[in-house]
Amino acid sequence: MSSASKAYLLNWHKANRALNTPLPAQTMRHSADFSADEAISPLDERIIASASEAMEAGQTHYVDVPGIAPLRAALADFLNSACGSAFGASNIIVTAGVQEARFLTIQKIGELFDSIGVPAVAHPGVQKALGVRKRHVVSLPVDDARGYLPTIDGIAAAVADGCRLLYLESPSRLSGAAYAADEVAAICQIVNEHDAAVIWDQGLSPWVAGDYSSLTALESTPTRIAVLSDGWPGMGLSSWFLGAIAAPEEWVAPMQSQKQIMAICTATASQYAALEASQLYSESQAGRLAQLGQQREALLQAAAAADLEVVAGGALNIVALRASAGGEAALEKLRGVGADGADFGAPDTIRLTISAATASALA
Amino acid sequence: MSKKREDQGTNLLYKLIGEARGYDDVIVMGRGDPDFDTPAHIVAAAKEAMIHHHADYSPPAGLPALREAIAERVKRVNNIDVDPASEVVVTNGGQEALFLMVLATVGAGDEMIVPEPNYTTYADSLDFAGATKVEVQTWPQEDFRADPALVRAAVTERTRALLLVSPNNPCASVISPGDMRELLDIAIERDLMILSDEIYDLFVYDDFAHTSPAALPGGKERTLTLNALSKSYSMTGWRLGWITGPADLMARVTELKAATTGGASVISQYAGIAALTGPQEPVEMMAAAYRRRRRLVLDALDEMGMKYGLPQGGQFVFADIAFTGLDSAEVAQRMLTEQHVLAYPGSAFSKDRKDYLRMTFLQPEDKLIEGLERMKVAMQGIMAGR
Repeated sequence: MSSASKAYLLNWHKANRALNTPLPAQTMRHSADFSADEAISPLDERIIASASEAMEAGQTHYVDVPGIAPLRAALADFLNSACGSAFGASNIIVTAGVQEARFLTIQKIGELFDSIGVPAVAHPGVQKALGVRKRHVVSLPVDDARGYLPTIDGIAAAVADGCRLLYLESPSRLSGAAYAADEVAAICQIVNEHDAAVIWDQGLSPWVAGDYSSLTALESTPTRIAVLSDGWPGMGLSSWFLGAIAAPEEWVAPMQSQKQIMAICTATASQYAALEASQLYSESQAGRLAQLGQQREALLQAAAAADLEVVAGGALNIVALRASAGGEAALEKLRGVGADGADFGAPDTIRLTISAATASALA
Repeated sequence: MSKKREDQGTNLLYKLIGEARGYDDVIVMGRGDPDFDTPAHIVAAAKEAMIHHHADYSPPAGLPALREAIAERVKRVNNIDVDPASEVVVTNGGQEALFLMVLATVGAGDEMIVPEPNYTTYADSLDFAGATKVEVQTWPQEDFRADPALVRAAVTERTRALLLVSPNNPCASVISPGDMRELLDIAIERDLMILSDEIYDLFVYDDFAHTSPAALPGGKERTLTLNALSKSYSMTGWRLGWITGPADLMARVTELKAATTGGASVISQYAGIAALTGPQEPVEMMAAAYRRRRRLVLDALDEMGMKYGLPQGGQFVFADIAFTGLDSAEVAQRMLTEQHVLAYPGSAFSKDRKDYLRMTFLQPEDKLIEGLERMKVAMQGIMAGR
């Protein structure tokens, strides 16, 4: 096709840098790949049995656009018990992975506002979702020393300047750093003072050892807040693409409508598998965190030996590294196996998935 | 969302679906969800995949093995040669494929020519992209043929693409080989992309034949073709479809796929491999059933004296209810409320089709017969109350 139309289309898409931001793999491609959002986890045979039973019972057809009712209830319980929020099943949309959750919230909640404040350093999926249909984006400055979390002053300035919708990750998808309780309270105050709204990605919060402060769990939690969740991470379902949004019902309606337009519903087998995972999660999560804690310690020692600086972070599933003096070569070697911080907005940083093999690979 | 939007298109259909769920004895002749369960060997493959491949990495474009199976399928069925590595993208069903094709080809201010009536989601997707749908009318007396002369007349400087859905949803027309060639020639002359929705390509009746524009000389390089396993293998819940097209444009489709949902469930993808590479007898069985049911529905409509465009393909019939004197949304609502039969109002598909109902034949024959009987009672009630 020599066509001008096609050339126009290709140039139009190629010029869209946000859309072309590379996306990290959702799970490790192989045992020596540490670039993924999540390590490979075993799948409990009870999950297989439950999903199989559903399929054999004829659960192979379309289901409700926002998800099967018991899963929506289970996701609400998961968020409420972990973070102290008060969502009901009617606040939940089951999504085909967390990227669909990013896309739906950014695009559909974004339609309600003139601009959206986005961290200068965030998961590449945020840029990609923004790139599909351009919105006015306000870049929120981040603090390198706080694991690339947007600064409270930067958030306050953006909101005071008229930006009424914020997209925030806590924990950061690059470093795993999460806002402390006083910082969350400060964000809450800024948002409430200006009647602003928030898309709050707390998908990595299950990986935080110890206390986690969610913007959804305060006495004065903003009324307009949408939460992104990865469902039950670590249960072996990352390749099944299941995520969730929790939001006020007036926001659920337009996002549900858009999900219907995009995909009708999330894969039925994934939903029944996740429903079973919701029952089993508490059995194994503490052990998973303990194991990851050990693996992380070994990784930190190997990083220090290689003159690599660990970026502040509290999640146990990932670690972000920068080069200390003399560590440039070591960091460069990691570019092939880790996630490139440049894709997140931090070019001097590499993110590694923590797994049994990560520390030895670094060493 | 305005009240107006709530009562239109996709939202109207989902409102009816929601109400239908409340009736235990409802007969669904609206939604395009086959009544057959997914064939057993496909379910078995999914179970195997859970055991052995639950954590396999899938790139946004899909598992290589599935893309190979898709490439083999489109060669075998559609006579289109595609490179599985660069010219196939796996999607979350045909619906996502449709959305991505629209986003890949039009943006704000662009126009897409769409023969009417058409599936509601095209309008929704074009709205999202900020593009304009330019309608080309079709008529039941011509069995809803998309006339190339009308298409040609609709092209403007802002036209970027032409949407062809064959077999069509909702009116079940099939574009003839001659018309397809002519439509492709228009696209070549006026430098347009073609979006070809072929989700019902395995269900074509009588002497009609399915033609893929990408299989015609000069077609492949300007055509994005979508298909899915939902209708042909009764796999609606698995959310698995695909787009094929020229490699340079498919690279952009891949980025859009990564931006919207990232990937498709690997378990669904392994099920898809089994569907495409395994025994095809279940598809033939379902196709035979749809042939019988189509005849049954058409005979019943003839008996009621209802007019329709002959369904040349697909899984539904688009019937004229102008004799009731009522808007199809009202007729569909009364059929549902009074007789617990769900059919889709034509007004959901096009503002100009308020005189039509879309009825699927995706129910067992005994249920279809009962549904048609109830429909007859509803129509009699409507006519008596006029």
